[in-house]
Amino acid sequence: MLNYTFDWSVIWRHPYGGWLLEGILITIQLSILAWGIALFLGVIIASLRNLPQKWVKAVAAAYVETFRNIPLLVQLFFWYFAAPELLPYSARQWLYQNIEPTTLSYYTAIISLSLFTSSRIAEHARSGFSSIPKGQYLAAFSTGLNTLQVYRYVIIPYTIRVFIPPLTTEFVTIFKNSALAMTLGVTETTFMSQRIDSYTFHGLEATIGAMVIYLLISLSVSGLMGFVERFLYIPGLIRKR
Amino acid sequence: MSKNNTIIEIKGLNHWYGNFHVLKEINLETRRSSCVVICGPSGSGKSTLLRCINGLEVFKEGDVIINGKSVSQCFHNHKELYKLRSKFGMVFQHFELYPHMRVLDNITLAPRRVLCLSKNEAEKSAMALLEKVGILEQAYKYPANLSGGQQQRVAIARALAMNPDILLFDEPTSALDPEMIRDVLKVMADLAKEGMTMLVVTHEMGFANAVADEIVFMEEGNIIEHDDAVTFFKCPKSNRAVEFVDRILVHI
Ligand SMILES: Nc1ncnc2c1ncn2[C@@H]1O[C@H](COP(=O)(O)OP(=O)(O)O)[C@@H](O)[C@H]1O
Ligand SMILES: [Mg+2]
Repeated sequence: MLNYTFDWSVIWRHPYGGWLLEGILITIQLSILAWGIALFLGVIIASLRNLPQKWVKAVAAAYVETFRNIPLLVQLFFWYFAAPELLPYSARQWLYQNIEPTTLSYYTAIISLSLFTSSRIAEHARSGFSSIPKGQYLAAFSTGLNTLQVYRYVIIPYTIRVFIPPLTTEFVTIFKNSALAMTLGVTETTFMSQRIDSYTFHGLEATIGAMVIYLLISLSVSGLMGFVERFLYIPGLIRKR
Repeated sequence: MSKNNTIIEIKGLNHWYGNFHVLKEINLETRRSSCVVICGPSGSGKSTLLRCINGLEVFKEGDVIINGKSVSQCFHNHKELYKLRSKFGMVFQHFELYPHMRVLDNITLAPRRVLCLSKNEAEKSAMALLEKVGILEQAYKYPANLSGGQQQRVAIARALAMNPDILLFDEPTSALDPEMIRDVLKVMADLAKEGMTMLVVTHEMGFANAVADEIVFMEEGNIIEHDDAVTFFKCPKSNRAVEFVDRILVHI
């Protein structure tokens, strides 16, 4: 450390700058895709938990508890290393022969992140639904609106407002969690910063570069969602920041 | 003649929540343009009874006839059920305004989506209703920015916007501060005077005495007493009603 000379150019110099840029793009892609799937799955799971059938409720609850309570890293390893072993031999052969290893790890990361995050989103959606007073349904139905209209004009717009702040948090979290995908060899931001280190021995600069990138992305997402919240602001529902 | 004048006829109505017998063999006839106050201890089934009358609750036994039309017949036909409900206006203890809509939109939602009025038409009559309940200047605010009394008057305007045959009030003043109760009761008294048919669950015995034509006293899912207002206050038949009214009057 004594004679360490900083070389910040490893962050932008050819080819390292290009690697980092590719890493950022993959981080963003991975996060947005996984978040979209998680939102979709999460809302469905939460709705299933609202159904009257006991067994449907139980399955949905088991889903949430499973994916929420196992560390994401363990889930990544499970889907990448263990799950394929459960496949029949021929299917496994087909998988390894027809799909590039990089593609496989990329999609495995997306699946793991989506499932993990969907369980958390399902919990937020459930508390969003249950925060709506029963009287809102009664009031809306009492005016003669049909079920579809009650949900479309009253229940869903209400839920969205309650639901958006925790959704923002999950969005930021998924960006940060996506760094774990490097353990599968996905060439996202963290992976690229480590790769620059091994080529240049300037890991300090590369890692700090990655840190700044995460910081900037997280702050922009928070800022953007803050804007959306202000746009949807209603007195008494979401607190204005 | 009396048949013609009957707007609500409840015949042998029974309802259960699970094993809990919440309404027991209810029979009640209400004349057009009358104001009926329903009182009784909490948990006696008053709210449930209102919800059975406008088809919000799918009751298990008996029937309710509204203007000669059977409510239980509507349970098998969603369209009919929605139409039936739209003939009622309902006002709740906690107002239940839609918090994400401005006052005006709260009132015009159902007229636009159920009656298919144009935005313009709906807003014009909504403004007239707001003027009637005395809060025209609040039209473009969100419910959370209004006082409780103002919110409840919006809720009444919202109920009136569907041009209902019958208004149902479920403890409309129980969540209000004393100084606001008067404003809301005034609006309700005016409606009664105009000849609106009203079923009012309330413990405001002053209102009952001054405005109601009939009083129904309920306990544990039964109608214990049903009198015209004068008889109910002068010489109630059941001890339970006497006790209840005394307790309430002392409390006031
Ligand atoms: N949706 C429901 N499910 C189960 N029990 C209910 C439901 N609604 C009301 N009850 C019960 O039915 C009884 C009567 O309720 P309610 O009609 O609200 O009484 P009131 O309006 O006279 O206070 C109460 O004991 C209440 O707990
Ligand atoms: Mg009640």
